[in-house]
Amino acid sequence: MAVTKQAPRNASRTMPESAGKRLLREHKEVALQSWQRLWLSPLANLLTWLTLAIALTLPASLLLLLSQAQHLGQQLNQEHQVSVFLVPHATLEQGQLLRQELLARPDIAKVTYISADQALSNFKTSSGLADILDSLTDNPLPATLLIAPENAAQTPPVVAQLSQQLRQLTLVDQVLVDMAWLDRLQAILAASQRVTYSLAFLLALGVLLVVGNTVRLQIESRKQEILVIKLVGGTDAYLRRPFLYAGFWAGLFAAGLAWLIIQLGVSYLHDPLLQLAQSYQSQWQLQGLGWVGSLVLLATSCGLSLLGASLTVGRQLRLIEPQ
Amino acid sequence: MIEFQQVSKSYHDKPALVNTNFHLQRGDMAFLTGHSGAGKSTLLKLIMLMERPSSGKVIVDQQDLSQLSRAQVPAHRRKIGLVFQNHQLLLDYSVFDNVALPLKISGYNERDSGRRVRAALDKVGLLDKEKLSPSVLSSGEQQRIGIARAIVNKPKLILADEPTGNLDPALSGEVMRLFQQFNQVGVSVLIASHDLDLIQRLPHPVIQLKQGHLSGPFAMAGH
Repeated sequence: MAVTKQAPRNASRTMPESAGKRLLREHKEVALQSWQRLWLSPLANLLTWLTLAIALTLPASLLLLLSQAQHLGQQLNQEHQVSVFLVPHATLEQGQLLRQELLARPDIAKVTYISADQALSNFKTSSGLADILDSLTDNPLPATLLIAPENAAQTPPVVAQLSQQLRQLTLVDQVLVDMAWLDRLQAILAASQRVTYSLAFLLALGVLLVVGNTVRLQIESRKQEILVIKLVGGTDAYLRRPFLYAGFWAGLFAAGLAWLIIQLGVSYLHDPLLQLAQSYQSQWQLQGLGWVGSLVLLATSCGLSLLGASLTVGRQLRLIEPQ
Repeated sequence: MIEFQQVSKSYHDKPALVNTNFHLQRGDMAFLTGHSGAGKSTLLKLIMLMERPSSGKVIVDQQDLSQLSRAQVPAHRRKIGLVFQNHQLLLDYSVFDNVALPLKISGYNERDSGRRVRAALDKVGLLDKEKLSPSVLSSGEQQRIGIARAIVNKPKLILADEPTGNLDPALSGEVMRLFQQFNQVGVSVLIASHDLDLIQRLPHPVIQLKQGHLSGPFAMAGH
């Protein structure tokens, strides 16, 4: 066995490389090669990435809108309150006294007393009708108690009951609870959430299938190479690697494209939505993905693509055996 | 190096090899002959673990192949240099990359791999063609590239399946001389061939297969 005896002369210089270092070097090589392979058919790859990007954009942008709408809903809920208008002849002392009494109730978290004068000056500044209001001799506005119920969001019937009881007080002229539209908003949000999740699930499945199919075609087109590699002793891990990297790159590019589409969409929608929010006296603004959102998009896209590739590659490689 | 003990292999009840016994000693070179369909390919496939025997035991380099799981097959194949009739070169790889493939799989770094590839190409006399595509080479040159790929990993055993099948007599003689050179430095060589003229001129034992049965003196006692 003279040949093998001589062999270690060269091999001895190879040996000091540790297994970890070698694996890292091999991964670097394969990553680079699969990267270079992308540009052999750039158009076909671009179409695949766009398909994936669109499949990602739809649920991602819906989730983005939904999370911000939920945020807005919560904000409105916190501000939600029962407005109690007192009878016109109620005095300041009577109003303050009533406030104390109400505060003692367990179902009331907070009571703000706004005197008739205060209400008038608030209205003057917010409405811009100061001149007209100044010309009035009497203050047409009643004193008001703004009541924040305990856990208003969770217990609408409790709030309804509370307002019923408030109405029966002698000093109280009118009670306003406008919960119906908030309830509707919550219901719409809850329904949209489910629609979005279902859509996200289906489109994630779509991403898996698209990547899986792309990888299957790639394996098919490199069948001869795979056969020869198997015959000269390439392991399954070695054979899998370039295709997993191809999947990873697809995920990366798809995430980039999806990010671009979403940010463009956000900037396109930003102004009209801002106007809409302002018309409701809300400070709400449509936000872009931000750092966290972008990273989640990237991780989801790369993760799904890798998963799609790995689910396909093992099965397809087993089908190719030297005969 | 290779030992067959009572090895049989059938495909859908059609026997391809029947109770085959032989022993190729370490450092030996032998020919495997027979008509097409006589079982030559089956025998090579069993050694390469492309097939498993229906019964019997195949031992290669003191390793009972039936003990090897699917995951251990690649490591087994890396110990064997395989030469094909149709060379099985990858046409979108350069000559260099084709020969370097077994080294790449074994994880050699570029420097060591480059040295070994050039040594192997030098051995088959094609050092100046490393940058070319195999498709521009003659069939004799292609076969020699295939041989360079088979020896680049310095295997203890070379298997060749009709390596001269597509070559004229002069080129065939050249290829056989290459195998003899490897054998002279200790590599075991088993060559499947039906080129009887060529085989008879060479001083190596011949394993004859006839419809799945071994015949000739080699079959009985090794040699």
